[in-house]
Amino acid sequence: MKKLRQEFADTLLELGPRDPRLVVLVGDISHGILQPFARACPGRYYNIGICEPTIVNLAAGLNKVGLLPVVHTIAPFITERAYEQIKLDFGYQRLSLNLVSVGGAFDYSQLGCSHHCYTDVSLLSHLKRSVVLVPGSPIEFNLLFKALYTNGQINYFRLPEVPHEVEFAPADLAPGRGLRVREGRHVTLATLGTQLRTALTAAEQLASAGLSAEVLYFHTLKPFDAPLLRASVEKTRCLLTLEELSAHDGLFNLCLRAALGLERVAAEQIAIDDFIHRYGTYAELCAQVGLTPEHVVRAARRLAATH
Amino acid sequence: MTLNRDLRIQIAQMVKRSGEGHIPSSYSIVDILDHLYGRVLRVDPRRPQWEDRDYFILSKGHGCGAFYVVLHKYGFLSDADLERYSTAAGILGGHPDMTAVPGVEASTGSLGHGFPTAVGIALGLRIQGRANRVFALLGDGECHEGTIWESANVGANLQLGNLCAIVDWNGSAAQLMPRDDLPAKWRAFGWVTCVIDGHSATALEAAFSQLAFHPEGPPNVVVARTVKGQGVSFVEGHGKWHHRIPTDEEYAAMLRELAP
Repeated sequence: MKKLRQEFADTLLELGPRDPRLVVLVGDISHGILQPFARACPGRYYNIGICEPTIVNLAAGLNKVGLLPVVHTIAPFITERAYEQIKLDFGYQRLSLNLVSVGGAFDYSQLGCSHHCYTDVSLLSHLKRSVVLVPGSPIEFNLLFKALYTNGQINYFRLPEVPHEVEFAPADLAPGRGLRVREGRHVTLATLGTQLRTALTAAEQLASAGLSAEVLYFHTLKPFDAPLLRASVEKTRCLLTLEELSAHDGLFNLCLRAALGLERVAAEQIAIDDFIHRYGTYAELCAQVGLTPEHVVRAARRLAATH
Repeated sequence: MTLNRDLRIQIAQMVKRSGEGHIPSSYSIVDILDHLYGRVLRVDPRRPQWEDRDYFILSKGHGCGAFYVVLHKYGFLSDADLERYSTAAGILGGHPDMTAVPGVEASTGSLGHGFPTAVGIALGLRIQGRANRVFALLGDGECHEGTIWESANVGANLQLGNLCAIVDWNGSAAQLMPRDDLPAKWRAFGWVTCVIDGHSATALEAAFSQLAFHPEGPPNVVVARTVKGQGVSFVEGHGKWHHRIPTDEEYAAMLRELAP
């Protein structure tokens, strides 16, 4: 499956020639793959350099004169380092931004904690006019970006390094709409991004053990498809979230809010609790935080046993 | 000789009435602002969003007392707007809000945002092939912020000649960092730099009338030597007056000094 970052470049190339308002600012990444856009849209591509807060400030200026800025760089630097710029320049001033990051969670696993980012989804969600997405496959990014980039809001797209490889029908993809990828009765596995693979593998293993898992996938965290989650948990009364997000404010919180008032619900989360002070492959860091099918199966069986 | 005594009195009135404001930071820039709106900027108070206007951003947002009285003088704001300054019924607060105030292009307050945004506006205008000019007034203390120099670097490298920064060089920065070499810094970053007396009508006229706005040339910066609190002897300088509200006695003394 094509990389999300390549799809980002391809989608901009699709849109740029027909929308002269699109201007792309990058923080010295993806320079090579964005050259086709740069050639097709002269004067609308800028590799600004290593100065993320200023890149966001510049984008606000571009939007003030009617242009549609797309800002792209590494998640921790553009969301955590430049958060005040996003908050004040776009939130307070009610401007419009498309922010597209790579390197969310621990995608840059071997570069260490300086390049990890667990809070981006949470930070962006605090802004009232934000739309927050983690598209896990190329078609998701293409369709969701095209549906949203002119909406006048603050759109945040975290692009996972590893696509989940699940094929979705275009008609099923709409902003804010979660997807029931697998139907089940005993436990709800709610997830996002690359972890859809983990959830589906775990669901297969659970089925062998006689447990029927329902797998819900959310490419949009805000607005959150609360009715989909609630209906599932109302049926299963067991909720397990798998998320490459901060344990303190991520998918689990969204799900609990969606399930508020339902009785006899057992719930657990597998998420990132603190800095991961280890280097290694993406798979090794997933294992470190429990994002493996085996761990999911154990947690799901534990939850199901409470009923 | 103190210019704009009437504007300084209005600022004092607003601050005294509401109990909020930065008088010295406003007095150091009010002459620059009056010159810009009276002699330099192409703006139309009947059409604040006129597409061919020049853009002005007050990056040191806490000097907004001066900004408001100048916007009032040039027809953007009403008497009632000034009277309701810093009240729940009004649109004018301790930092300017672009979503509420006609003629305000950026909501500033947190330092180091307005100037880089002006750089972005200048870039956007160039992308669109428009001839508008962009001005941003920033504080010398604000020049402690990293984004000022990040964006100064960007502006020079992109040769945004449609842009003019004005630095209110009132000595705030040097209180903490005594290496007070702002003009040299701006020159080193590649900006066309001139240094003037920011309280002299003659100097302001000479500087702004000679600025070259080459579409693909280097950006301009006017480093204006100013006095914080200029116009009232006991308010001038640094220290307790930065965010102080005058007592009744002090207020009366201010008005006496500012009387024409």
